[in-house]
Amino acid sequence: MNNFERFAGLVVAAVFAATALGPARASSDPSPAPPAKAAAAAPGKPSTSTADHGKFKVLQQGFKSGPEVTKACLTCHTEAAHQVQGTQHWNWEFMNPKTNQRLGKKHVINNFCTAIPSNYEFCTACHVGYGWKDENFDFTAQENVDCLVCHDTTGTYRKLPGWAGHPVYQDTEFPPKSGKMVKAVNLADVAQKVGKTGRNNCGACHFYGGGGDAVKHGDIDSSLREPARYLDVHMAKDGLNFTCGDCHKTTGHAVSGSRYNPTAVDTAKHIRGKEDGNAAACQACHGHAPHKEKTRLNVHAEKIACQTCHVPEFARGGKPTKMLWDWSTAGKLKDGKPFKTKDSGGHDAYDSRKGDFKYETNVIPEYIWFNGQVDYTLRETKLDPTQVVHINKFNGSPDDGRSKIWPIKLFKGKQPYDVGSNQLIVFHTYGQDDSALWSNFNWDKAIEFGMKEIGAQYSGKYAFVETDMAWPITHMVAPKEDALACKQCHTAPGRLDKVPGIYMPGRSGNELLDMAGWSIAGLTLLGVLGHGAGRIVASRRSKGHQGGHP
Amino acid sequence: MLKALLGFVAGAVVVALVGWLMMPSLMFTERVSPFGMEETIARIQHNIEDNPALKAKGWALSGLRNPARAVQTDGGNVLPVMMIEVCSTKYSKPILKEDTVRFLSILMPCKVSVYKKQDGKVYIGTMNAGLMGKLFGSLVGDVMSQVAEDQKLFLVMDPSTPAPEMILPQAAPAAGGGGPGGGC
Amino acid sequence: MSQRIYIFKGFERFWHWSQAFLIIFMLITGFEVHGSYSLMGFERAVDTHTFAAWTLVGLWCFAIFWHFTTGEWKQYIPTFDKITDMVKFYAIGIFTQAPHPYKVNPNRKHNPLQRLTYLGILAFVGPLIWVTGWFYIFHDQWHAWGWDAFLSLEWVAFFHTLAAFIFLAFVIAHVYLTTTGHTPLAHIKAMITGWEDVD
Repeated sequence: MNNFERFAGLVVAAVFAATALGPARASSDPSPAPPAKAAAAAPGKPSTSTADHGKFKVLQQGFKSGPEVTKACLTCHTEAAHQVQGTQHWNWEFMNPKTNQRLGKKHVINNFCTAIPSNYEFCTACHVGYGWKDENFDFTAQENVDCLVCHDTTGTYRKLPGWAGHPVYQDTEFPPKSGKMVKAVNLADVAQKVGKTGRNNCGACHFYGGGGDAVKHGDIDSSLREPARYLDVHMAKDGLNFTCGDCHKTTGHAVSGSRYNPTAVDTAKHIRGKEDGNAAACQACHGHAPHKEKTRLNVHAEKIACQTCHVPEFARGGKPTKMLWDWSTAGKLKDGKPFKTKDSGGHDAYDSRKGDFKYETNVIPEYIWFNGQVDYTLRETKLDPTQVVHINKFNGSPDDGRSKIWPIKLFKGKQPYDVGSNQLIVFHTYGQDDSALWSNFNWDKAIEFGMKEIGAQYSGKYAFVETDMAWPITHMVAPKEDALACKQCHTAPGRLDKVPGIYMPGRSGNELLDMAGWSIAGLTLLGVLGHGAGRIVASRRSKGHQGGHP
Repeated sequence: MLKALLGFVAGAVVVALVGWLMMPSLMFTERVSPFGMEETIARIQHNIEDNPALKAKGWALSGLRNPARAVQTDGGNVLPVMMIEVCSTKYSKPILKEDTVRFLSILMPCKVSVYKKQDGKVYIGTMNAGLMGKLFGSLVGDVMSQVAEDQKLFLVMDPSTPAPEMILPQAAPAAGGGGPGGGC
Repeated sequence: MSQRIYIFKGFERFWHWSQAFLIIFMLITGFEVHGSYSLMGFERAVDTHTFAAWTLVGLWCFAIFWHFTTGEWKQYIPTFDKITDMVKFYAIGIFTQAPHPYKVNPNRKHNPLQRLTYLGILAFVGPLIWVTGWFYIFHDQWHAWGWDAFLSLEWVAFFHTLAAFIFLAFVIAHVYLTTTGHTPLAHIKAMITGWEDVD
């Protein structure tokens, strides 16, 4: 551990978290695959599987590569690769049925690392496959499916950025020139110990989305590996101890729950299993009227997503989430060399490769009306550079009858666009060539290379545009006693101050009525006081004349 | 006569009521910080640690407390709150020496609280040392009025200077300065 | 000092004071729910406000029954007889120790101004606050009953608050006017004991 890592770990541990003494990692580490600490997905639970993979002859061989292991897996699990190849985890592609937009990592440009084309080797460390290093990747080859990344229980299987989805087969220094070694994976050992997918498997990528721990989502980070009760009432290690899959119920490798097409309003009549619907929705287990004592809250739930009250803040596990990424300042050099500066908590505030950042823990979400329809600003979308560009606009309104009030993380950024065409740009960040921004800090080259890679026209002139991106907040559900209290919204200013179209007692009243009402009451009071004073004066006078009580 | 007395009593009651209602805001002050939690803490810490005038007066960081963590350990959530503890023996000694006011040790060390509220903003809470001191005679009053003057320097927020590093208590040799029990 | 007459019967006094307590309590809690100040907390204010509302509903069931079986409802039949005298009395006479232009007796407990005011409260402001209050209480059922098509919480709240302000003004004036008897506490005593001294 270098000084910075130790410092970052201490910050996290000493400052915010009760339980962060685990594998605190610096957010600047580009590796999305963490050294998993806990070996088994659910420690302490004996396996109930009817198969001991250690006893299968086909797994007792000196595997040289990932695809060899996959071939062995497929000798028994004949349909597994086909199943995986039908999923987003494999295709990184999603056709949104509501908007007909072609989404998925393969297509969208976000305001974090922006886009995958021209950077495949780096990004595909999180692909459930082997060898996606350019656009010629064979999505039909079954042996390219990576079984182990989701089924490893040893915590020794790491896929590093730059290896196009392969684990390291030899001891490797990573990050390059860091002096730290990542050990070669023992494929046979990993293969013989496969098991059910656990938190560490999902977390290896999803905790580290956006280039580091907690960076992207805000409600998903490594603090959920072994969370305390305060942080996540479902996953608490001394509580329900859910894995990701307990909610994200998976059938035939298809995982329930979607961020591209979220279930904003769950109308299914299910308690899970009785009717089709999103198995990952709260209602799938809790139903539509979960408040048994305070039934008024069930009516609230007709307009308000569960998460609004039950995830009062996100990034509560002590890992700061990135709130801002400004690419426009990237490329500054000191003495011809890239550099970093830290913020007060020891997180990157500036990185020559990436620009300026802002981090925050315990973030109070933004609240919006959301009906589940998300419109993306895609490569082909024309944008208005004078406005903030919504990378993904969450639609909803108080009046459309299908929206609820949702908490979101609003992630702000600044990224390049083509001044000639008013479209977002794909640029080349990672690579061993002389065009990659992260090696050569030259925007012109990086953009030209990236645009050529996707076969797009580029005017040759770029500028930076402000962007924002919405992330629905749904994980890190707090214990029920920590849900928002009435007063936190029914007050002014309160949590829902910016949410239009609803009357909430305590938040908003008719100002004219209030003014008139208090005036009338005040004048009445003044009137009677004046009248009373007059009577006292009059009675004094008459007493002076007559003496004695009237 | 009776009326005059009644009037006097009524007046006294009103004054007492107003005083009672205003007490909290007089005894303590709260202001919004232009920075986030960590940066606010770091800036206050460095205002104290890096100011030679304050050093000369014996001020040193003596701790950084996190009451929110205890709540988390009990399974609950509260928004972040951190207490910067700071102390100077130059001020504490005369008070600790005098039997009649030794009980004021409960106010030591001096604290600056940094916390987030529902509006997402970070606030700085301090005790109104000057006023508090006046309640306990001239010795304490004198000391506390100087503390109040110094305290103003703790809270200077200058956005033109870069964000300093937060100083963590104990076991952080690399973090430098203000170790455990510094000052007192 | 002359005779004492029995004006307010037992139930009437009970009804008056419990209603007075409930209305003042609901003004306090109601304006907290409205967001005018913070006292007991929003949630408790809502709960106790609702509870007090149902208590008042119960009380009113008895009161309405009582008014009709005893014929006391006739006390609220409006009259404009002597009304200018009353206004003159409050505007001038009361400062010059002039005699009260209206003599109460058990069949005519309220002076003409009272009759008009109470009728206004009972017939207009009361129903306004009741109806809007019920809409408020049953807000969670609007959807199920199909009422959300023509009701808006904002307007329900508007009229509920409007009525509350009128009640507040009424309470202030009413409390003050109790001091306008032949001694400042005479009317209040009458509402406590039932007996009023009549000149």
